[in-house]
Amino acid sequence: VDGLAPLGVAAARVALLALAAPLVTGIVQKMKATLQSRQGASVVQPYRDLRKLLRKGTVQSDTASAIFRAVPPLVLAATLTAAAMVPVLFLPGAAGGARLPLGDAILLLSLLALARFLLAVGALDAGGAFGGMGASREMTVGVLVEPVLMLVVFSVAAAVGTTELGDIAARRSLAFRAPDLLALFSMMLLLLAETGRIPVDNPDTHLELTMLHEGMLLEHSGPGLGCLVLATHVKQIVIMAFSLAIFFPEGLAQSLAPQAIAIAAGAFCLKIVGLSIFLALVESSYAKLRFFRLPQFLGMGLLCAFMALALRLL
Amino acid sequence: VTPALAHHLIDDVGAMLLFTMILILGAGQLYRAIYAVAAQSVFIGIAGGVLATATGNSDLWVIAGLTIVIKAVALPWLMLRVIARVGIRREIEPVIPISLTLAIAAAIILLSFYLSASLGTVRQAITGNALPVGIALMLLGVLVMVSRRKAVTQMVGLFASENGIFFTAMAVSQGMPLIIEIGVILDVILGALVMGILMLRVRSSLDEDIADLEQLKG
Repeated sequence: VDGLAPLGVAAARVALLALAAPLVTGIVQKMKATLQSRQGASVVQPYRDLRKLLRKGTVQSDTASAIFRAVPPLVLAATLTAAAMVPVLFLPGAAGGARLPLGDAILLLSLLALARFLLAVGALDAGGAFGGMGASREMTVGVLVEPVLMLVVFSVAAAVGTTELGDIAARRSLAFRAPDLLALFSMMLLLLAETGRIPVDNPDTHLELTMLHEGMLLEHSGPGLGCLVLATHVKQIVIMAFSLAIFFPEGLAQSLAPQAIAIAAGAFCLKIVGLSIFLALVESSYAKLRFFRLPQFLGMGLLCAFMALALRLL
Repeated sequence: VTPALAHHLIDDVGAMLLFTMILILGAGQLYRAIYAVAAQSVFIGIAGGVLATATGNSDLWVIAGLTIVIKAVALPWLMLRVIARVGIRREIEPVIPISLTLAIAAAIILLSFYLSASLGTVRQAITGNALPVGIALMLLGVLVMVSRRKAVTQMVGLFASENGIFFTAMAVSQGMPLIIEIGVILDVILGALVMGILMLRVRSSLDEDIADLEQLKG
């Protein structure tokens, strides 16, 4: 890599995703409220929550160690680094050969896995019962989700010949072949699991029986909680952008001309709103699954991804 | 329709058929499995339409129409009605856990791809992945039949199996003679009617479920 320009590009991408991430959560919440005939909070409510949390003081349990305090920034950092790897507005070739070989889909997924691990460690460290339960559940879901995500990536990468997301997006033809259909279904199931949405997790509740992700956040407070909530928002938009880059890269700019970038930004917003509608519809029309039913639900995703790979390779 | 496009479309329909099959296998409730098998039959109809335009075999239009009308509309409606009349529990009652069924399904899919790869020459003559998909559907339908307790779910498995046979037949031989296809559809209708009548009769005279009949010894 020569020069600082690619680094600047990556930093700008991270900043853009981090700034837009709470808005996506707000939009999904608003859509859900509308679908359920409620008025709902404003779409900027997540920003207000974050501002409130960042201004508050911190309280922590007596048993918590330094790890507990280190977890929120580390989780946020891992998630933001993952955000640097998804193509959002333009293809890697657009910057005139100056490209930043930051990492590929595998690194992105492992950074998200790292964030998940750190979060679980922090929850266990605080010593609360709910934290341990939430961590245990979250890791169980992780075991079911992460291999399937890898299978989806492999099924696409087998056709394109690379695991780098930018190249996948660039080389992907418009033709949607049969394996892609199956991989897409799998990805849609995983999207629900990874964003902590209703058949898998319930993002709106702190009720002990239903929570997975929220359980791990219970012991955190103040700016630390703010970091973790922001990380949750960012993880959501990263997973969305990730699936868009793999399956619908249409609209990504070929060059850095302002016009092309503007079109790409519009296309990205449209696609994100489309995915948000999907999330809101599913959340409003399904009940949360019993925890022990999850292997069955995610098993369907595994089978889809598996068949996508089989159709691709055999 | 060019052969290449037909090839693509049949592949896509095959993917949708497998996806609906997974929905059937993973369904936790009866009506979901029934909707999934109805959707699967719609895709069989679409495959028939695609092949009819691609090959110019007008018999396939008749078969596609019959499939959609009977297997996607009439029989699912009958099954839903029987469920409502008999008032059975709406959960699927699997003999083995559903997640285990899904794992077995993965093995079956691999097996069917392996099988069809060994039939190299046949595979060349037809459109893409139609043969392995057809075999997989057939075997997975049987899996549904053996791994579920209720008569309705066994019927769903039979339909899925039937769909697999249809798909294979259409894609491999570009359509069987019309008379055979109609015979097969009649068989399915007969099976569904027997299932419906048997369930209603058993319920009204014995107040028992079909699974309880296994306890009977002569």
